[in-house]
Amino acid sequence: MSLKIIKKVSIFCILLSACTKERKINDSGFLVPKTVVEDLSLPSITVNGAKFHAEAFGPADSAIILVLHGGPASDYRYLYNCKEFANQGYRVVFYDQRGTGLSQRFPKSHYKSVQQLTDDVNAIIAFYRKVPTQKVFLLGHSWGGILASAYINRHPATVNGAVIAEPGGLKWKDVKDYIDASRKMKFTSEALNNATYLDQFLTGKENEHEILDYKYSMLSSTGDESNVVGNEGVLPQWRPGIVLQNAYFDIAERENPDWTDRFLRSFTTKVLFVYSERNTAYGLAYAQKVSAAFPNVQLFKTLGAGHDMLSFPTGWNNTYPVMLSYFNSLK
Amino acid sequence: MKKSKILLLVIGLMVFKNYATAQNVNWASLEKKQQHILNINAGLDYGLTYGVGYGHQLKSKLPIIINGEYSFPSGNKIVDDFKTKIGGSIRYAKVNNFLFTAKVYGVFRRYQNTLSRLVNFGSDMSVAAGYYKKKWHVAGEVGFDKAIVTHFKHSQLYKNNFPGVQDGWYEPSTGGNFYYGIQTGISFKQHDIYLKAGRMLTQDFTTTPLVPFYLQLGYNLRMGK
Repeated sequence: MSLKIIKKVSIFCILLSACTKERKINDSGFLVPKTVVEDLSLPSITVNGAKFHAEAFGPADSAIILVLHGGPASDYRYLYNCKEFANQGYRVVFYDQRGTGLSQRFPKSHYKSVQQLTDDVNAIIAFYRKVPTQKVFLLGHSWGGILASAYINRHPATVNGAVIAEPGGLKWKDVKDYIDASRKMKFTSEALNNATYLDQFLTGKENEHEILDYKYSMLSSTGDESNVVGNEGVLPQWRPGIVLQNAYFDIAERENPDWTDRFLRSFTTKVLFVYSERNTAYGLAYAQKVSAAFPNVQLFKTLGAGHDMLSFPTGWNNTYPVMLSYFNSLK
Repeated sequence: MKKSKILLLVIGLMVFKNYATAQNVNWASLEKKQQHILNINAGLDYGLTYGVGYGHQLKSKLPIIINGEYSFPSGNKIVDDFKTKIGGSIRYAKVNNFLFTAKVYGVFRRYQNTLSRLVNFGSDMSVAAGYYKKKWHVAGEVGFDKAIVTHFKHSQLYKNNFPGVQDGWYEPSTGGNFYYGIQTGISFKQHDIYLKAGRMLTQDFTTTPLVPFYLQLGYNLRMGK
């Protein structure tokens, strides 16, 4: 009798373990999506020594709007609304910046300077520009606004206009002050503990991208309490790239960059500078301070929206006509 | 593989409960007759946390306490995150007033936010050495908190971003943090008030958790006839 029971239990255990699928914490495709290196079906281009997740919409030879996402540990998915410019005859180009989104990953030691990212912008423009007379506009949001400004600071002649939406600052100290203000959380809040409590469940080594990217994606859970930047919900995204972000934070701390120090102040083309009504860490005074680096600025306040004003319906509907009018004026 | 780890952990806990355990006690003031130890504490343990515990001193040659602890982080959702520990501590050596102790816990913890829910089985082991008098003590400790096996379950919000995410048990071990610090306290009658604090490092020794230190202020009530 007891032998039968042991046999039955043994068979049950064997069947149970056979049903269990083993999942590796440090493999792509389980907790975070695969990148363009692992999933060859994803749209990609290879320029400047890296494989980028990239897409373009609209006529190939019309004026380019190059969309630069924030983060830098974010991706372009949350800016997909900008595809609408393709319906107006623009060539809209999206790409996930080096080391983030679904673009190729690199070890932290790979990142040497912020110039690497402006070089990438140059290479992306060169890839999509079919004729030398094809106009190029930049549309940068948050960190993407800093990157657009940094690019204009180095290559003003390449750019025919830019929409800069709520960059944290164009000097590193301003960026740090903005980060502190925008991420202010109560010490006892659910949001802060949601961010810190996870550290006992998951610890990734310096270059374990899958674990670190997954952990960072958990920070987009708001915890119901932290809404300084005024967003309406969780942003759509593919996958963050936290190794890149950590690397650039370290580089910026070391180099203390000023992205206005070369040719930015001589860029006389009008720039559309967008800020939002609900981001209490920004506001008119800060928008004026940051945008003062451009000699010719049109300030625009997006009503009814927070920092990610280009992603949620109210913000997009209020900002899109102004951006379209701006691009059309320079087309 | 995952099941065998869980089984090993369960067996480990069953073994440990026969030998050891618990809160931060002043071993010099703990009397043999004081079999029950109630504990409340608050501090920083991967966030601002509050905890309670119960310890039971065994009638053994070496002082041994088995105990259980429950703690949770602050926030507006009290029950979504917590940590429980079951295990024991033993005072295994004594040289005059210098005492040497060890703690071994099995850990079961839960984490939930709007994107995912994690359930983890782990272990927490530490050793301490210090100077213990009846009315006060000070000691240094070093330990390792290991997340051995973790189950992931994701919300629709996360699946909207990544429909291909796979829920289930993940391996190999998903994390671990070293910690080292000091513990000190005062004791009077049946009471201990203690403070422990220290630094934390992830298991690769190159990075730290977002809260890179721990701190606990606690109170013990020792009872028994």
